[in-house]
Amino acid sequence: MNNTILKVNNLKTYFFTRRGIVKAVNGVDFELKRGECLCLVGESGCGKTVTALSILGLIDSPPGRIINGEVRYGNLDLVKCSPKQLRQIRGKEIAMIFQEAQSALNPVFTIGDQIIEQLKLHLPLEHREARDRAMILLEEMGIPTVERVMSYYPHQLSGGMKQRALIAMSLSCDPQIIIADEPTTAVDVTIKAQILDIFRELKAKRQMSLIFITHDLGAVAEIGDRAVVIYGGRDIETAPVSEIIGSPKHPYTVGLIECLPDISKTTDRLVSIPGIIPSPIELPQGCPFHPRCPKAMEICSQQEPPQTTISEGHKVNCHLYQ
Amino acid sequence: MTKRLQDIARRIGRPFYGNRRLIKYYWERTRRNKLAVFGLAFIAFLILLALIGPLLTLDPMSVNFEEKNLPPVGFTTEKSVYHIETDDFTTTEVFGTWRHPLGTEGKGRDMLAMIVSGARISLLVGLIATGIAIILGTIIGVLSAYLGGWADNVLMRFTDIMMTFPFFLLLVLIVFIFGPSLAFIVLVIGLTGWTGTARLIRSEALSLRTREFVTAAKALGASDGRIIFRHLIPNAISLIIVIATLSIPGVILAEAALSFIGLGDPTMASWGIILEAGQHSLDTSWWVAVEPGIMLFLTVLAFNFLGDGLRDAFDPKSNI
Repeated sequence: MNNTILKVNNLKTYFFTRRGIVKAVNGVDFELKRGECLCLVGESGCGKTVTALSILGLIDSPPGRIINGEVRYGNLDLVKCSPKQLRQIRGKEIAMIFQEAQSALNPVFTIGDQIIEQLKLHLPLEHREARDRAMILLEEMGIPTVERVMSYYPHQLSGGMKQRALIAMSLSCDPQIIIADEPTTAVDVTIKAQILDIFRELKAKRQMSLIFITHDLGAVAEIGDRAVVIYGGRDIETAPVSEIIGSPKHPYTVGLIECLPDISKTTDRLVSIPGIIPSPIELPQGCPFHPRCPKAMEICSQQEPPQTTISEGHKVNCHLYQ
Repeated sequence: MTKRLQDIARRIGRPFYGNRRLIKYYWERTRRNKLAVFGLAFIAFLILLALIGPLLTLDPMSVNFEEKNLPPVGFTTEKSVYHIETDDFTTTEVFGTWRHPLGTEGKGRDMLAMIVSGARISLLVGLIATGIAIILGTIIGVLSAYLGGWADNVLMRFTDIMMTFPFFLLLVLIVFIFGPSLAFIVLVIGLTGWTGTARLIRSEALSLRTREFVTAAKALGASDGRIIFRHLIPNAISLIIVIATLSIPGVILAEAALSFIGLGDPTMASWGIILEAGQHSLDTSWWVAVEPGIMLFLTVLAFNFLGDGLRDAFDPKSNI
């Protein structure tokens, strides 16, 4: 049985600006299996969010364009779908959760209004039924006094509540896949734990497939099954989470994990990877990481490293492992 | 039908429709501006006058030469009467009567009745023409901002052309072809007056459409129409209200100006028409021109005060 629900093949999304071509996503490959949580990990500006937006065809054009690659969902290629087909897939089959709940909710409508609208958009429901379902959804998200929250405007809710309302809205039509774009970045640790719990439960109860975009390796370790490390618009290492954390292969992944502060040790300075992420306008030749790489060799600046399989399910793009 | 209208009102005016708390909040903020409250009170009075006034006053169109050029109550004028027997003029004093509290004009028509029916016409012109202009301007502005690219360019260049188009010329032409009809005047003012609104709404929508909730709505499968009517317009509704309030006086003045230069609808006693009639007899019966003038002045002032007050109340950055 084919277990892959979404497959991204050599996706390239460029933005054509006055300053040059911004290669935000420059050949990303990954596949999402049914019922798993796949984490996209990387620094800010490495192309995680653009990858997610590209999957749903939400790149503003102009200036952006998907110039290459395909996004296989069932027997559809989402890159080639018509806007109408895409609209039916968005929200119903693939839903997205945004980073900042405050700005992702329309400030002039109540929470209830927004969830009910979402339900009625994709499902043939009467207002009453939609309302009941919206309340059940909010309840499932662990929101107390649902009746009251339904009539609240976004600014009347706390950050955690808003994030939950947003998740409820994304879940409203029982999508197959949820793409969560840094849902835990803008909330504090306790809320973060609660939201991770919600995702874990969703995965277990509803057999949902999850793409979890984050730069937080802690969250990855908490809920991820597999992780894709992205750097400079490319996937550079793909592996089960335990291997990413336990035995990272790519020097960048190694660096990322070393950067995690350890609460049990006291050090003067936190570890960081020297240098900054390359500008997506002028990506370096060869491996995009070589200017910062402690183990860079001559070949690194000349040739893009091909993909090497380390073990079953663990792939890395690095000349070290040729 | 009413249900349908209610539905539309609920969709577009959602931020205010049925939201007592918000309305109360804005009322509290508006109330602090005394002039705005005066404006609102005067507009309410005017609307009342226009609605029930004509039931209480005399017929504004009934001519009575016996009682022409009577001054308002409390004023006296001199009237010269020609006597055919003596071939001479005698001058008598004429007093204002309570039957015509604001006097009468040159054909003996009651000024109060004319002012009241003029209020009805001026308000009607102001509201309908502004309504047309605001709806057109909002749709064109939002579409322009939302579609972007060449569509934005085409719409905005069209707006530029409309802005430079001498709409007075158009009116003269239309009056010449179809005769002076109030309906055409309203239509022309409405169809040419949307340009400023379109510009303002476009700039608002440009910033709204990049907000994350619009992307989020798209990510959940919302269509373009839904984004425009559910996300962009409701978020711009306070701006639209302010623009509408501030453009009503301009429209009323435009109609008065047209009437004044003789392009008005002569079958309707709008304030502009009365003013025009009064200018010829300023030396004998000044009140015919002064009374509609004062009403126009107060009305325009009231709408401007209210509009300013609303603008301050809706602006979250102003601390009033």
